[in-house]
Amino acid sequence: MPLIGFLGIQYDFQWSVLWTGGHGSWLVQGIWTTLRLSALAWIIAWLLGILSGALRTVPFRPLRALATFYVEFFRNVPLLVWLFFWYFGAPQFLPRAAQDWLNVHGPEFWSAAVGLSVYHGARMSEVIRAGIQSIPRTLLEASVATGLSVGQAYRLIIIPIALRLIIPPATNESLNLLKNSSLALTIGVAELTFMTRQIETYTAKAFEALTAGTLIYLALCLGIASLMVQVERYFRIPGLIVRVGRAEH
Amino acid sequence: MRRVSSVVVAVAVILGLAVTGWAAESTLEKINRSGVFTVGARTGSPPFAYINKQNEWVGFSVDLARLVHKNIEKKLNKPIKFELKESAPATRIPLLSSMAVDLIAGTMTDTRPRRDSVDFSITFFVTGAQFMVKEGSPIRGIQDLAGKRVGAQQGSTNERIIRERVPQAQLVVFPDQPAGFTALVQGRVDTYTNDGIQLAGLKVKASNPAEWKIVGDFYSYEPYGMAMRKNDSDFRAVVNNALMEAIEGGEYFKVYDKWFGPKGELPYPMTDDVKSFMMYQVVPK
Repeated sequence: MPLIGFLGIQYDFQWSVLWTGGHGSWLVQGIWTTLRLSALAWIIAWLLGILSGALRTVPFRPLRALATFYVEFFRNVPLLVWLFFWYFGAPQFLPRAAQDWLNVHGPEFWSAAVGLSVYHGARMSEVIRAGIQSIPRTLLEASVATGLSVGQAYRLIIIPIALRLIIPPATNESLNLLKNSSLALTIGVAELTFMTRQIETYTAKAFEALTAGTLIYLALCLGIASLMVQVERYFRIPGLIVRVGRAEH
Repeated sequence: MRRVSSVVVAVAVILGLAVTGWAAESTLEKINRSGVFTVGARTGSPPFAYINKQNEWVGFSVDLARLVHKNIEKKLNKPIKFELKESAPATRIPLLSSMAVDLIAGTMTDTRPRRDSVDFSITFFVTGAQFMVKEGSPIRGIQDLAGKRVGAQQGSTNERIIRERVPQAQLVVFPDQPAGFTALVQGRVDTYTNDGIQLAGLKVKASNPAEWKIVGDFYSYEPYGMAMRKNDSDFRAVVNNALMEAIEGGEYFKVYDKWFGPKGELPYPMTDDVKSFMMYQVVPK
């Protein structure tokens, strides 16, 4: 916590460094890149998470093993290491032409998007598995008894209910994803944290830049959290999820 | 809404504390009280400051900081502990402002905007920015950068110059030197730019040095200085006197030779111009 050690000296705050000298547009670009990167990774992470989370519960061992391997392999290595892998390592396995194509189309952004999606997909998978497993097994059996195949039962009954149940932990994961996108600066993605550091290195005004970054992340996260609350309310199934507002009384 | 306002209040309280603060303590007072002289240095910038094969933190800047350390002990007339702390370009000024380190002895270029935030010692090394490319690359200097992917280090003066002078270049900025150089090795960028001496350091350490070429005239002037907190002239005099005495007494050139001489870590002979410049910085006793 730099501010504590900072008590000993006088400091002249110059908040104007945040919008003068083109720094305002850096911040806006940074926010835009953070949002684009997070949104893309978020969508892919959900898709991977739903697929893998569902496979973790199906009554077919090889598919379960495959999904377990995915989850354990990707969530147990630090995200930073994955980002280095996807940026420095992975492209080498592509053919020369694909590498050249990638090099002129922003490999930093795409590597970061892949790294974030795959890592958070593995974490999201566990959230979704927990949701599916909280639904009584009998519901799957009843669905199958009505003539649905296991795949249909998952698609039409189990997953729609599970997705509603897991909105609170999934909100957590989504916020983590947004904040973890800041690690992308280590492979040269000019996202929000990068831009606040950039302002700091140009102006040497670290506290203004970092405070701006902090408040922007806070605002983004609170925005997403309140959006998720709305989503939760909108998709609520009357009679199924009644805990809202009850537990406290 | 309650959550929002309580966080805002918390942040405001911390900032408020920071602004009002305590009475400022000078650096020499701080060192005298704590008995420790803390220097911020790099760990990956051979031969200025790096971790060597024996896992020791050594380098040209570190040796010079030790000379400053000796002078502080002489001034305070008691033994003082010498401590090194990692400082990257993006963290070095906050580390200084927060009193976490007393002196930055790394590869920091003395610039006019930086003098608004920190004070610098006399110049202890002179270099300029160049480009590192793979053997056979068409890049020969700053004039060839349009449309090329150029790796640079965040917080460096040369990153800023490229951004302003060659906006057509695709600048990819990395937080540290190893990441930038790895990007070049892996072909993610076409060239990596930094101060010539730093590129030379990277080339020596590369697995196949012959594969890499340092090209282009200096497109910037990079005088390295040691940075310290602003408006602390007593401490600054101790630092400057240590450097001046070392230049005058020849110890500086011995240290230079140890790292940059023909048998040094990175042969980089001092030109006569630079030698005179160093001598002229020494003011009379």
